Amino acid sequence: MSTSSNSTLYRGRKAKNKVMMALCVAAAGSGLAWLALILGALLYKGLSGLSLAVFTQMTPPPGDAGGLLNAIYGSVVMTVIAIVVGTPIGVLAGTYMAEYGRFSKLTTIVRFINDILLSAPSIIVGLFVYELLVRPMGHFSALAGSVALAILVIPVVVRTTEDMLNLVPNALREAGTAIGAPRWVVIRSVAYRAALSGIVTGILLAIARISGETAPLLFTALNNQFWSSNLNAPMASLPVTIFQFALSPYEEWQQLAWTGALIITLTVLGLSIFARSLTGRREDR
Amino acid sequence: MKPMLSTELNVADTTAEKAKIEVKNLNFYYGQSKALKDISLSLPERSVTAFIGPSGCGKSTLLRVFNRIYELYPKQSADGQVLLDGKNILDRSQDLNLLRTKIGMVFQKPTPFPMSIYENIAFGIRLYERIGKSEMDGRVEQALRRAALWTEVKDKLNANGLSLSGGQQQRLCIARTVAVKPEVILLDEPASALDPLSTAKIEELIDELQADYTIVIVTHNMQQAARVSKQTAFMYLGELVEFDRTEKIFTSPREKRTQDYITGRFG
Repeated sequence: MSTSSNSTLYRGRKAKNKVMMALCVAAAGSGLAWLALILGALLYKGLSGLSLAVFTQMTPPPGDAGGLLNAIYGSVVMTVIAIVVGTPIGVLAGTYMAEYGRFSKLTTIVRFINDILLSAPSIIVGLFVYELLVRPMGHFSALAGSVALAILVIPVVVRTTEDMLNLVPNALREAGTAIGAPRWVVIRSVAYRAALSGIVTGILLAIARISGETAPLLFTALNNQFWSSNLNAPMASLPVTIFQFALSPYEEWQQLAWTGALIITLTVLGLSIFARSLTGRREDR
Repeated sequence: MKPMLSTELNVADTTAEKAKIEVKNLNFYYGQSKALKDISLSLPERSVTAFIGPSGCGKSTLLRVFNRIYELYPKQSADGQVLLDGKNILDRSQDLNLLRTKIGMVFQKPTPFPMSIYENIAFGIRLYERIGKSEMDGRVEQALRRAALWTEVKDKLNANGLSLSGGQQQRLCIARTVAVKPEVILLDEPASALDPLSTAKIEELIDELQADYTIVIVTHNMQQAARVSKQTAFMYLGELVEFDRTEKIFTSPREKRTQDYITGRFG
């Protein structure tokens, strides 16, 4: 039995290792390259259009100069409503699954359905809300858009909340229980606290996910060329505006589309970095 | 020397002092499998009792019956009687949270809550008492002193409990348990994750605490059982093999299985 570094077996293994390593590095590099290309193109095309006017003026008619104020406002409003509606439902459902119903069959079923919802094409959610709200109400509305986005938020938050709570060691729950704390106190003061940064990360990722969604808004909030803060009326949003402007033959619109895309990307990037830093701090401890 | 009067099951009469906990015909099940078989013993008040035995013998399981912590998990159940001051705690009417304020527990791995040192102690007190800031400060200090931790942490009470060393964390957990003024303290291998110095500190602490509390300790370490306990129960495969005064168990056990275990022939 030879285990010297010269044995054929060992040399073969070493060569295999080198090949696999090269493949892995190439794969990682290509992933990064695409990202760099996209970001580069966005910066190159979008940055030149970035000005104060983008944040202070309404979307212009074709051929005129203008900004994206109504679209930015609409995106913020609908995202906020979606998070406010979706987060409590998601967190509570995740809490049920990880804490109260950890051993129940219902949890397995809910988790399965939630995973399907998580990967469901967002346009289907848009169509669903179209049937649910837009048709009965007879018109498109910001409210319907918010509901569609909320439905996209819920599965993300459910998943991360459950995962993060499951990471909390059982010993900690036992310790809380052993000191005489009722279950809800253990969940609120011990489990949530231990999982807090993870749960917040999940919410931030949900915001990142919905702030770029176009499809569900096409069937619900539609779009609006003008300023509107009426939740019961169609409302502009950045993704839909980008979609519309990018497809148009007008140069001003195309430029605004690039700028809008840059704004969304930078926002999502910022949120992701912030979320990362939260989880990072948690791992440091 | 004449042998002591042996009762059935080889459980000697250690009830010269008042019994704090009396276990009668206790069986415990994990689903279908029986983990404790007809256990009967009685733990004297204000004294340290050690449970020893090889892994999987049921010593931790028995400990976890005393505060019914096993009820966190489905499919675990107990029958028989466990009397705390004469009252059966396995009774359905027993309020579990109140039971656990009377019977505290410290675990194998230190489990400080993810909050400050001060809050770790105040958390348990606040659950059942409404007291002012200054009184709370006093209670926190008293608990930390009791756990021999005060001098080490008095200048950083607002630091996160997780920032302490393993041994300090474990003493914090003992302080936290003592702070809610329990009557019984259950220790589940409290020193097995600690270095020898921290272990010595914990053992010293146990020695001091027995003046006020009834203490039950589960340990893998036979020397530790011999050092800290007044009576020792040897368990094997879910049965209580022998229960007697500690020096008796370690010098002249009645059962061959006990003899084999303490001399290192198995386990």
